[in-house]
Amino acid sequence: MTRTPIRTATVEAAGASTWWTPGWSNWRLALLVAAVVLPASVITFPVNTAFWLSLAAAAVVAVTAVVNAWGRQRGPLLVAPALALLFVTNIFPLMWSFGLSFFHYRANRAAAPVFGGLANYQTILTDPTVWHRLQTTALVVILTVGTQMIVGFLLALLFEKEFPGRRVLLMLVLTPMMLSYVAIGAFFRYYYEPTFGLLSQAVKVFTGRPFILLDTRAGALAGIVIADAWMWSPFVMLLVLSGLVSVPAYLYEAAEVDRASWWRRFRAITFPYIRSLLLLALLFRTIEAFKIFDVVFLLTEGGPGTSTETIGVYVYRVAFQYFRTGQSTALAYVLLFIVVVLTNLYLYFVKQRSAEA
Amino acid sequence: MTICWRIARVLIVVTTLGLVDVVVAPPRPAVAEDIVLHMAVPDWPPTRIMKDLADKLYHAPSGNKVTLDADFIPWPNYYERLAASLTSGEKKYQMAVSDSQWLGAFIEGGYYLKLNKYIDADPQLQAILNDIHPAVVDAYMTYPYKSKNYYGFPQMPDLLVVYYRKDVFCNAGEQRAFQARYRYKLPCTQQEMNNTDWSMVRDFGEFFRRKAGQKLAGQTLNDDFYGIAYQAGKGYDFSSMQINGFIWQHGGDIWDETGVPHAHAVGVVNSNTAVKAFEHYLSLTRYMPPVVKTGTMDIFKVDELFREAKVAWIIQWIGFGESTITPKTSKVAEQASFAMMPGLKGPDGKIIRWSNIGGQPFILTTWNSETVVKEALDFCKWWLSKDIQVKFAKAGGQSALKTVYGAPEYNTFRPWNQAFGPSLDWQKDVWHVPEFFELLVEQQEEFDKAITGQKTARQALDTIATFQEKLLKESGKIQ
Repeated sequence: MTRTPIRTATVEAAGASTWWTPGWSNWRLALLVAAVVLPASVITFPVNTAFWLSLAAAAVVAVTAVVNAWGRQRGPLLVAPALALLFVTNIFPLMWSFGLSFFHYRANRAAAPVFGGLANYQTILTDPTVWHRLQTTALVVILTVGTQMIVGFLLALLFEKEFPGRRVLLMLVLTPMMLSYVAIGAFFRYYYEPTFGLLSQAVKVFTGRPFILLDTRAGALAGIVIADAWMWSPFVMLLVLSGLVSVPAYLYEAAEVDRASWWRRFRAITFPYIRSLLLLALLFRTIEAFKIFDVVFLLTEGGPGTSTETIGVYVYRVAFQYFRTGQSTALAYVLLFIVVVLTNLYLYFVKQRSAEA
Repeated sequence: MTICWRIARVLIVVTTLGLVDVVVAPPRPAVAEDIVLHMAVPDWPPTRIMKDLADKLYHAPSGNKVTLDADFIPWPNYYERLAASLTSGEKKYQMAVSDSQWLGAFIEGGYYLKLNKYIDADPQLQAILNDIHPAVVDAYMTYPYKSKNYYGFPQMPDLLVVYYRKDVFCNAGEQRAFQARYRYKLPCTQQEMNNTDWSMVRDFGEFFRRKAGQKLAGQTLNDDFYGIAYQAGKGYDFSSMQINGFIWQHGGDIWDETGVPHAHAVGVVNSNTAVKAFEHYLSLTRYMPPVVKTGTMDIFKVDELFREAKVAWIIQWIGFGESTITPKTSKVAEQASFAMMPGLKGPDGKIIRWSNIGGQPFILTTWNSETVVKEALDFCKWWLSKDIQVKFAKAGGQSALKTVYGAPEYNTFRPWNQAFGPSLDWQKDVWHVPEFFELLVEQQEEFDKAITGQKTARQALDTIATFQEKLLKESGKIQ
């Protein structure tokens, strides 16, 4: 009896106000204002003023959204603090750096940023060095992800069966994944070191001469791929293994009865169960490998010369050694774009396969 | 009435005590302040010693309680951490240790305080300035390089010297074998080693290269042993610092920022003399441990090879000396000896000496109040006082004050000190301009290509010269 009039009143009130009516609950208008204020302040005002104006605009959007949801949308209000934190620590810096990518700016100089439009994007996209580093990165991605998929898959096949000591061995195999990049880099640097290193000492037993792995491009690439694969093959193994153990045993028993070959069993029973997980592993590892920095920097510093310098290392140089801040943010956004394209490409294939299935 | 009277009594007592305090008590500063000087420093012995001395001995002449809060940052991250702090605007540090090469970038950024007006107004600072070796003043204090604009004071002056194994070089058997093969005496004493030139270094490299199982100074080797090593790494400046010395000794030059805007890179950086000097540097790498072929033989690797007794003779910064003579960290602590870096023998038989200076100044930042600036300058004066510099040198540091390193007892503090003072005369520095890092990174990459055999010395220097010319023209340093 009492609920009907209230609902009617709310609907009427909502109907009376349009999206352009100013009010503390009109988040749409606040969002529109913020969308205008943010780029306008960045272009028009000094950097400090623009920063605070943008922050104020964002705060107004947040407040209007909260007022609008108050008493009606409990769920969204509960997650709002987490979203606010995400916005402050992640989304806002992301937007800010995106804005910076259109400016000529060096963080180590007192000079204020100067708007340059798409100049930074033009510079990096026409820079042969960037293309060279992208080619090197592509090579590293193909080699390292390929190795990880093969090794991870074989390890999963090994650990699929029960055998004595399996649990302990599984834990040991998973250990590299839990170590830090710095530890892995330092470990492999010593492992490959021609004077003291284990690898060189082992080869010397047969050849009588120290073995220098990192003195050629091929050797240095191999060194990086081995270190990265050592760290991340267990991750692929873990995903594939979860698929393998989920295959119902009766399917294999039926195949046994039908005297199906190992290959036939794998193609018809095992692979459909692990296909999506393999694609997931491929997606994760490709994205990570594309951003590879730590292992390369610690093992070869991009050398010999620049032969193993990936785009991740190059971004670091542009940002923190050359201090071309505007250019480095533009380069980072080009990389982000490539990663997003790659991700969507994979997701497209996954969906297509699912539709076929 | 009673309450009013009680309040009045309290007020009278307080006022009387206040008056007595003003009349009877000795004069003192209006308000003694607690001032903390936050200082960014790399984490290594010279800064640890400074902090230790400051904690124990520093009392501000102003009467304020001034403490040094040193933020110890590991060397490999030091530049990034300092740059991030300065450029972020957090204004965390009142002082900082800075590589001299960073002066231009951070002065242009508005972070390092110009000291001229303070020096002009303070005879004590002027006396200190006059006492510092001119090469150190130019390298650590000036921007533009060699101008009269002063920005820093020496924290740890450092330079490249020779570390060698006296047990190997002075061994009678090795001496005889070397004499028979090369027809001159193998240097043994510090004085003899001070007079070496690069042709002798080549001979050391060739002579002391031994396989596992062969004998060295009467002992059978368990592992391969190498004659010589110097920095040839791709990272930071870990080949430029040595190659620059070769170029200057041969009579060539790097791009000379003091000649702005008419000094060019093309024709200087890739001159025939510079190419010859770089080829000379590369020719000696064949006698070094195999890690040199990977481009990762930086100063830390050279240090490790020597302390692990894998090499007979190295060139290294003095800053690594303390760990070399400490038995806990070195297998050659008892055997290590030190001498001046070699030079190039000229046509007249005299040795031509030039080298790239190392070490660091410390600077004041621009956002401090006048009180903090005054306290920081008082700290600088204390640090550069003769007494404290002697204590620093005794603990393993170095002093650029002529009155300190010139005193006879200075050479007794550490075994490398005899090589320090005379070497100061032939030190030069690399660029101070804000484009320093871009110049350096490109140069290091090209040097590395030559060191790892991907390019010739000529090709590498041509690329460097073209890059530098373009970059410096874009930035207006070259017309």
